[in-house]
Amino acid sequence: MAKTLVFLEHHEGAVQKGSLGVLAKAAQIGGEFAGAVVGSEVRAVAESAGGTVWVADDARLAAPLPQPRVDVLAKLVRDEGYDTVLFAQSVLAADIAAGLAARLGAGLNWGLVDFDGETGTAPALQDTVVVDVGWSTPVRIGIFRAGALDAEALTDTADVRDAAVQLEDFSTAAEMVEQAHAEQQGPSIEDAEIIVAGGRGLGEPEKFALAEELARALGGAVAATRAVVDAGWYPYSAQVGQTGKTVSPKLYVALGISGAIQHKVGMQGSNVIVAINKDPNAPIFEYSDLGVVGDLHEIVPRLTELVRSRKS
Amino acid sequence: MSIRPSEYPPPWSTSDAIAAPTDPVEERIDVGFLIVGAGPAGLAAAIRLGQLIEESPATAERLGEVPVAVLEKGKAPGAHLLSGAVVNPRGLQRLFKGRKRIEEMPFYGEVHGESVLFMTKRRAVRIPTPPTMVNHRNYVASVSQLGRWLAEEAEELGVTILPETSAEQLLVDGGRVIGVRTGDRGRGRGGEELGNFEPGSDIAARVTILAEGTQGHLTGAALERFGLRGENPQVWALGVKEVWRVAKPLDQVIHTMGWPLRAAKRYREFGGSFVYPMGDDMVTIGMVVGLDYRDTELSVHDLLQELKTHPRIKRILEGGERVQWGAKTIPEGGFVALPSHFHAPGLLLCGDGVGLVNVPALKGIHYAVESGRLAAEAAWRTLARGESMRSALASYDESLRRSFIWSDLREVRNMRQAFGRGFYVGGALAGAMTASKGRFPPRDAPTERDADQSLIGTDRAASYPAADGKLVFDKLSSVFASGNRTRDDQPNHIRIQEKVPRELAELWAHMCPAQVYEVGEADGDGTVRVKLAPSNCVQCGAITAKGGRLTPPEGGSGPEYTVT
Repeated sequence: MAKTLVFLEHHEGAVQKGSLGVLAKAAQIGGEFAGAVVGSEVRAVAESAGGTVWVADDARLAAPLPQPRVDVLAKLVRDEGYDTVLFAQSVLAADIAAGLAARLGAGLNWGLVDFDGETGTAPALQDTVVVDVGWSTPVRIGIFRAGALDAEALTDTADVRDAAVQLEDFSTAAEMVEQAHAEQQGPSIEDAEIIVAGGRGLGEPEKFALAEELARALGGAVAATRAVVDAGWYPYSAQVGQTGKTVSPKLYVALGISGAIQHKVGMQGSNVIVAINKDPNAPIFEYSDLGVVGDLHEIVPRLTELVRSRKS
Repeated sequence: MSIRPSEYPPPWSTSDAIAAPTDPVEERIDVGFLIVGAGPAGLAAAIRLGQLIEESPATAERLGEVPVAVLEKGKAPGAHLLSGAVVNPRGLQRLFKGRKRIEEMPFYGEVHGESVLFMTKRRAVRIPTPPTMVNHRNYVASVSQLGRWLAEEAEELGVTILPETSAEQLLVDGGRVIGVRTGDRGRGRGGEELGNFEPGSDIAARVTILAEGTQGHLTGAALERFGLRGENPQVWALGVKEVWRVAKPLDQVIHTMGWPLRAAKRYREFGGSFVYPMGDDMVTIGMVVGLDYRDTELSVHDLLQELKTHPRIKRILEGGERVQWGAKTIPEGGFVALPSHFHAPGLLLCGDGVGLVNVPALKGIHYAVESGRLAAEAAWRTLARGESMRSALASYDESLRRSFIWSDLREVRNMRQAFGRGFYVGGALAGAMTASKGRFPPRDAPTERDADQSLIGTDRAASYPAADGKLVFDKLSSVFASGNRTRDDQPNHIRIQEKVPRELAELWAHMCPAQVYEVGEADGDGTVRVKLAPSNCVQCGAITAKGGRLTPPEGGSGPEYTVT
């Protein structure tokens, strides 16, 4: 039976949804498992998660740098005998997982969508096939794809334990000079449960307001296709698709998106896909759960209105 | 108004691709011999050098820590290689003499049956195989797989291969090529440095061998810089192909002529298709059209889709599934368009880059391999006692002229040009040339630049079949099937005038198999804006033939071919 450690990434006092999803997965697999929260003044964060949670609370861990976190996790694995370390995909998680793999001589599989305690499942060849992946090393490290798992908070009270913080000299050599945040309203598209995405069918940059209003009414985030990002209508951080972000919200509303395969691979994991497009031959209708052929400039404002009135 | 693409030259000049070294000498990367391009020519050169090093390690010691390095702009060797291909094994046999047998090479087997079909919209008539096209004793291969195999062989001989590295500038110092500068990585759309920015570096070598393949970026610049151009301009064809997994084996190689191309002289449509078996369960099918065509609505990608709807072809693919797609240009100028010299101080040129392709035989891989081997031997000769650098490199030209490449290309030197006179006249003239072993015609026919052909408009695009995602595919899903995952936020690597007459914009939009160009809004003065999606680019090079200029994008960009 696996003995699993889950890295709980946190931001502004809350554990990221992706990490909670991985923790829930670890609980579901069975066997012994624990989360790990690493940072400065993060005890409250650790308490907010369920199950056993290791907390490494140290002023030197304030900046979100990977190497000190590798030190903490490597020590936990060695001292407590964890054989599996799981992460939710993020830039920081990728850095830590890679460093940890090197430190422990452990195998690393990424892009996982499932794991049964023994074998992982991951899409391959640009999401055209799903393959089983395994590990040949004693310690297994895995990174789950963003949005692959539902975030279900564990219900029990967290059993918080202190993890020793012993940092290597080379781990403290880097220092955070500046941290910049992209200006953003509402949830990020990777975290959002509802996404309203706009394509070139919107007609002009100003019409993105339609998508934004609908997103606001639904409580979701706005995403964009490559074509409109290329045209400078929307920032790259909102781009969904092969060369943008991969999202899997519960609801994906595609406005004026033709649905080329490059877009499809970035959002095909969505639970429910709704497409509004005036071209009945648009490829997106082939993989939509609900397709509306019509003029989005008429439909969307009325839809937004309807959502608002239902919600109020 | 008759428009020629060459009237709208790209904002680009040879001097952009040539520079003096900038890194301090102690920071330069020093290698013995530097080869640009991990294709059949470059890897043959690398393998031959590796063999020579193995034979005389004492001489090799003078080459330093990295005796032979190969730069490859693709993700891995083979990632940017695409061809038919039916390979004449002669070049490989000479390269691996006494070391490897044909059975050990990555071929899909010998050609046993072949037919040439003349196509009309509904029918396919078998015609006698022209003598130049007979493929007895040749082998079907994927040049992408062949490249991967050659790269492994080269690495076993101690060659260093550097993938994801583009050669952006030729370093020239004191009139002599001393190496190349590699491209920067991690720049944003406006050229700004992103978090993962890595500057390029100067790589210095005793001899630089350019084996960049068709439309070689540095090769073109070197031909200009050192005055090596021959009497005639190079011309190109564009090939688009697909690899299919099929339900039933194909038992022969097939070439077609005629439909969907038009025979009349005014269209200047020269080309044809090929269908080759790759073992029992795969088939490759491609369409090749000379880029001297004039119709702004001609799209080789869509002609290939149209071809697949022909009953004779559809039958072969029935029950199958497309597994890969790709596109690439082919130099077609042949003998009359060869450079005047194949070397310059510190530099040797080989393979498709200098146009070593036999168009009537539809072959060039064996010339690439042979020229790479000969270039390696000339480079090695620079190490010999009492040999001057200059005479050693000049000996490459001599050995090329004495090789089978030269006699082969000389014999067929006028055939491609004859087809500028329409399909039927061209076919008849080609027959006469074959019968006379190239003595007819008495005077050589010049080539004309592809970009100099004036444009005409037809409504051809209306007849292209609509994509169904099963037999017929659109361009974007095809780009996906090329494995292209280029990041969108890198600088544009395509140089064109972005405000051009509508006809020219239409030509580019239809020509490009990867949907890089889009006709934008009109400016009111008869011109339109051309919108670019550079990350779609599969680096086929057609734009360079038709009035623009392809430059190498960030290393590792572009398609990731595996079975083309």
